Amino acid sequence: MIRKVKLFTFLISILFLSALPSYASSTYVLPYPSTMPGSIFYKIHLVEETVLRYWYFGDFGQFTYNLKESDKYLVEAKTLFEYNQYLLGYEALKKSDVYFSKTLPYLLKAQKQGKDISANRDLLSQAALKHKEVLLTVKQEVPPVFNWTPEKSALTVLNLKAAIDASIAIRDKYL
Amino acid sequence: MKKMFLGVYSIFLVCLAIFSYAFVDPNLLFLRKLYTGLYATNRPFVTLAFIFLVLIFFGFYTLFLYWFRQKVFGNNEFKFILISTVVFLFLAYPAMVSYDIFNYVATAKALFFYHENPYIIMPIQFLHDPLLLFMQAANKTALYGPFWIFLTGIPYLSGFGNFAVTLFAFKLFNTIFYLASIALLYKMSKNIYYLSFFAFNPLVIFETLVSSHNDIVMMFFAILTIYFLKNKKLILSIILIILSILIKYSTVFLLPVILYAMFYQLRNKKLEWEKIFLWFSISMLVIFLLSQIREEIYPWYAIWFLIFLPFIRNKLIKYIYLSFSFGLLFRYVPFMLLGTYFGTTPLIKNFMTFIPVGVTILFLALKKFIWQKSSNRF
Repeated sequence: MIRKVKLFTFLISILFLSALPSYASSTYVLPYPSTMPGSIFYKIHLVEETVLRYWYFGDFGQFTYNLKESDKYLVEAKTLFEYNQYLLGYEALKKSDVYFSKTLPYLLKAQKQGKDISANRDLLSQAALKHKEVLLTVKQEVPPVFNWTPEKSALTVLNLKAAIDASIAIRDKYL
Repeated sequence: MKKMFLGVYSIFLVCLAIFSYAFVDPNLLFLRKLYTGLYATNRPFVTLAFIFLVLIFFGFYTLFLYWFRQKVFGNNEFKFILISTVVFLFLAYPAMVSYDIFNYVATAKALFFYHENPYIIMPIQFLHDPLLLFMQAANKTALYGPFWIFLTGIPYLSGFGNFAVTLFAFKLFNTIFYLASIALLYKMSKNIYYLSFFAFNPLVIFETLVSSHNDIVMMFFAILTIYFLKNKKLILSIILIILSILIKYSTVFLLPVILYAMFYQLRNKKLEWEKIFLWFSISMLVIFLLSQIREEIYPWYAIWFLIFLPFIRNKLIKYIYLSFSFGLLFRYVPFMLLGTYFGTTPLIKNFMTFIPVGVTILFLALKKFIWQKSSNRF
């Protein structure tokens, strides 16, 4: 009987612990939030982003650029979600995904050219882990679906949960 | 007698070139056979030898200046000294007291070999690159201007991927700019005595022909700017000063004087070029002294104002510049002896730099005072 109780307690504990939200943890540091949409400086940042795309030439350069921009848009998305700006947050998250998915191909291209990519590969894994950590936090705070109805425009259904899951899946591939 | 003296000078240059190899880095694989460990194990001896060589170098310099002034030496001797200095010191080990040449190679390699932006990507990011074994600033992105990086494509690509050839191609590249600067200064000054003040200055020779610093390239474009400015080719001079600034930025301090001279040239007003040159040199002396705020005064920065020596007639300024060039070469001594950049090293370095200048000013002031006193007596 005592054995059965012990086994039952153990199983319950396992179930209880697995139900707790688990967070990935990484020492990778994300940037501070930059200017937000609506600010005049945001437009300047968009121009800067386009110019920097050419300044960061080379495979390592493009890797750095894409990761930097991905980080920036992830932080932007998180901040916008916190302020219930779901449409803008959703768009920022999509941009972060696009930039993030471009990082590894540049590293592989660099590897083909004989460059040692191990340090940058580690950096990317750390970044993916950190991004996932942030995304899991955001996922708990946003509604799964949000209907965005702007003035004089059609309704937009934002499937936030699915979008965040897709973002996590992109990061998982690069872990 | 003259021939014998020039022969002794050539022997001295050979000794200096051989001595430079005492500083070979043990990780520099292509020079491993020449590594003696002398500098690592016999710091006091190497330091004393360095002091001795610098003193001899200044001794030769003083005699050259004296004989050029007395017209004992003429054009032929000038050419002989110039050629022998260039040829023998071309063979010297370039990273004797400064590792900047490795930074030049690494930056060029980042762009021309790895096709990466050296302003974004640091050499340390190219793991397992052989340069990382011995270069000292692997964790820094490019420090120099884009025009310099563009120019380094010439010596880098001339090396065909061989490090030793590339290293000496960089030396040759800077040597060509040294010779071009001498030729240009001669064209402007038409006087080999005044030209010798710059051309045979031990600091200029050491930092340009041994350590191969790019300051000579920046100053060549600055002098070329002034040459075209004097000839009223203003657009060309604007382009050239921009190129000079895009090498190492410091010549931006020449802009106020250049704009002043341009203004006068446009109005066809007569310019006192002696004064203009003096102001050019003082502008560069100011930025030289201000470099202490940014990091520290490096000996090769003196090339910025020393290049104007052939045009300076003001004795006080000339002696101050010469005493700077004397003291600056001794800035290497504390590190050479103690092997550390910390502790008393920075203080001793500053003493080495400014004491010769202070002594010179004091000496000139006393001389003037005594002379005035004795002339009042009569």
